[in-house]
Amino acid sequence: MRRIVIPLVFAVVAAGCASGGDVGDVPLLPEISPVELQELLTDAERPVVVNVWASWCIPCRSEAPLLRAAHESFGSQVDFIGLNVRDAQGPARAFLNEFALDRFAHFFDPSGAAQGSLGAGGVPLTLFYAPGGDLVELHYGVIDDRALALNLDEIVRRGS
Amino acid sequence: MEFTLLWSALTGVTALYGSLWWMGRRDTSLCVRDLWEIAITAGVVALATGRIVAMVRIGVNPFAHPGELLLVRAGVDTVGATVGAVAATAWLARADLREQLDGLGPAALFGLAGWHGGCLFRDACLGTPSSLPWAWAQPGSDITRHPVELYAAVLMAVAAWLLFRLRLRYPVPGLVAALALAAAGGARLITEPFRPSLFAGPVWWYGAALVGGIAIAVWAAVHPAATDTTDEVPPLL
Repeated sequence: MRRIVIPLVFAVVAAGCASGGDVGDVPLLPEISPVELQELLTDAERPVVVNVWASWCIPCRSEAPLLRAAHESFGSQVDFIGLNVRDAQGPARAFLNEFALDRFAHFFDPSGAAQGSLGAGGVPLTLFYAPGGDLVELHYGVIDDRALALNLDEIVRRGS
Repeated sequence: MEFTLLWSALTGVTALYGSLWWMGRRDTSLCVRDLWEIAITAGVVALATGRIVAMVRIGVNPFAHPGELLLVRAGVDTVGATVGAVAATAWLARADLREQLDGLGPAALFGLAGWHGGCLFRDACLGTPSSLPWAWAQPGSDITRHPVELYAAVLMAVAAWLLFRLRLRYPVPGLVAALALAAAGGARLITEPFRPSLFAGPVWWYGAALVGGIAIAVWAAVHPAATDTTDEVPPLL
């Protein structure tokens, strides 16, 4: 019995130590329309990565630290944009605070209309654009280290 | 949802089983069924430990988010997976450790070669840019790249083949298993510079596997366990 109870108690305590939804200093996410998002992409003079995410999306949690690392490595060469879809401001800001992802721009898209203008549905979703808004790669689902690094390298080289 | 990773896993498992079956037909001392069970169990343990370590490393509490354990695509830590696989194998094969590890070594390398070669099913073979004749580009791109995962697959498959022949020729307990460890580390060490990554890969770990494997192989050769060597050595294939 002890063999079962001790791990169970440990699991419950560990779960209780999880993040409580603190938004920290993360400001309200500005809402963006489909037209504004498209203008942002076509006017970009640098390569752009758009990551579509939501706080309720479990795979988004797994790729969040990777995106932070990618921004740290490629932030000087590539513009990173987060698009929060079908979510609420509170949980979205808490998510950004938890993963320290507020170092690049994130936009709020509660209806999913802006995401619809990208031509793909579902979360997570990562899109890689060359300067001028040409789509280079659309990655459905959770992205891994290799795919992220490869596609970042691809858009940087195409943009140079 | 993408399930292309499953194709890579299926390729690896097929290569593992195929090589065990093939080796079993040429070496009747191998108990293929036992080795298959050990290998599959060790693989599952490796996946679980590797995923847990990967989650902890990026700051995700596995107890608070157990569902993320299933997100294998999000990353599996190589060090955690290796430790899990070695520990599970050592435990399951403890009754006849050296002999069973020698049987598993080449098959595991074939399985890993299949896993890396499975990149063809998920369009994930490419690495750093290259102008070599066999380099190819992503769809819609003119930037040709090293097919780094295929390099690893070929290196591991060749090493597995050589080690299987070595096992038949020089049945020194523990030697082939140690060299298989060294080969796996060496193949990853050689291909790591061609692999795109946001982080420096665990080069030290691959180096440790290479050096440790060679050291254990030397030790096994110098201190062979008591074994019946009166059997006729099978002919080389």
